[in-house]
Amino acid sequence: MTIDTKILLRIFLIIALISASQAIYCQSNQGENIFSPENRLKFGNYLYKEKDYLRALPELKEYLKTKTDDTTQFRFADCFFRLNRFSEAEYNFRTLFSSPTLADESRLKFFESLFFDNDYAALREYSERNSYSDFKYSNEVNRLKYISFFFDDSILPKENEMLNAFPDSVRPQILNYYLLKKFPPAKSVATAAILSAIIPGAGKIYTGEIGDGITAFAATALSAYLAYSNFHNDHQFRGWLFTGLTAFFYGGNIYGSAASAQIYNVRMKFDFQKSVKLFFEERNYFLPEINF
Amino acid sequence: MKFIFMLFFLSAVSLFAQNEFVKWEAAPASYEINNADRHDYTLDRSGFGMTILSVLRNGYYFFVSDLDGDNCAFSPSCSAFFLQAVKETSIFKGALMFADRFTRDINFFKGLNHYPQLPDRKFYDPSSNYTLHSAKIKFNLP
Repeated sequence: MTIDTKILLRIFLIIALISASQAIYCQSNQGENIFSPENRLKFGNYLYKEKDYLRALPELKEYLKTKTDDTTQFRFADCFFRLNRFSEAEYNFRTLFSSPTLADESRLKFFESLFFDNDYAALREYSERNSYSDFKYSNEVNRLKYISFFFDDSILPKENEMLNAFPDSVRPQILNYYLLKKFPPAKSVATAAILSAIIPGAGKIYTGEIGDGITAFAATALSAYLAYSNFHNDHQFRGWLFTGLTAFFYGGNIYGSAASAQIYNVRMKFDFQKSVKLFFEERNYFLPEINF
Repeated sequence: MKFIFMLFFLSAVSLFAQNEFVKWEAAPASYEINNADRHDYTLDRSGFGMTILSVLRNGYYFFVSDLDGDNCAFSPSCSAFFLQAVKETSIFKGALMFADRFTRDINFFKGLNHYPQLPDRKFYDPSSNYTLHSAKIKFNLP
């Protein structure tokens, strides 16, 4: 063994010794339980602040198994809410209704959960119950209730009743939406079909599909003319062939006009809901930010 | 010696790089239809009527569509739409739906309509939108 090798061996031994001592030092921390409820709460709160709600949930849940804390319970429910797991959020917010500090906030979030869960019937039913309606955020919940009427087919409340729930600045727009919802500019399926039966293509033009209407008229008229012309010139086979083609275009156009009216109505409803949703989303549905 | 090696490696790289020019040369054109673009000839065995219709469709694919190319502006194409419509409704209703689709297809200005466009620029127009059931109407692309 040369001297160089000896030196190298010594250096290696020193490094090995230092590493081993570090490992021993690390082991000495074993006495502290990193999975204690307090540590879980700390980590859960950290994840919540980092908006990692999915991973915050099990940490907060473990903490809540051993201790009761309204703020943590609220955060736990809020994690479900932010993950769009609204039915679980509803259940967990409901457990805080008798909380001395967060009762009003949890009631508001409970109603928000119902709203975003598209459970409008339950939202209206609960908001009209005395035990649920009288609290700090009842105006906000009332507004949510009125907004919900734009998203389903239930009977609209009275115009003034609805408008009074919103600030003056947005009332003209709300009135506009109210009138569009109450008197939608829909096209009648029967009218479209009848119009096409009288004049081929007219039903399509009625539903706004002008190009399709003109094409249907041209196709039906041309095939009808060819049928007539062939019969007139004693070409029976071709006459019947074009008669069949005329019936094909004529029948298809009547059916297509009815379908076109229906598609028009669905599209109109879709666009209306999209516009209303965008309008309220831009204003956060008139909901306050809760700091806790 | 070092310089000789360096020169050798550099020249080797540039020689290799020259090979890339090959791909810019004129290649013989092929007008054969790619097999991947051919239609699916699988028979629909969900019923006797559907089997007959899919045989007719296959005949159309073989004698017309595969020779002519994929030219229908819609997706699904008119023939596929007809089969879907019949499967979803009945032969009578499916035929009416097809007649309407055919009329819409021969409209020169169909691009002005509200059809959503797929990445290959075809108009997305599924048969489910024309069954007269408003709950089945969808505007979003698949």
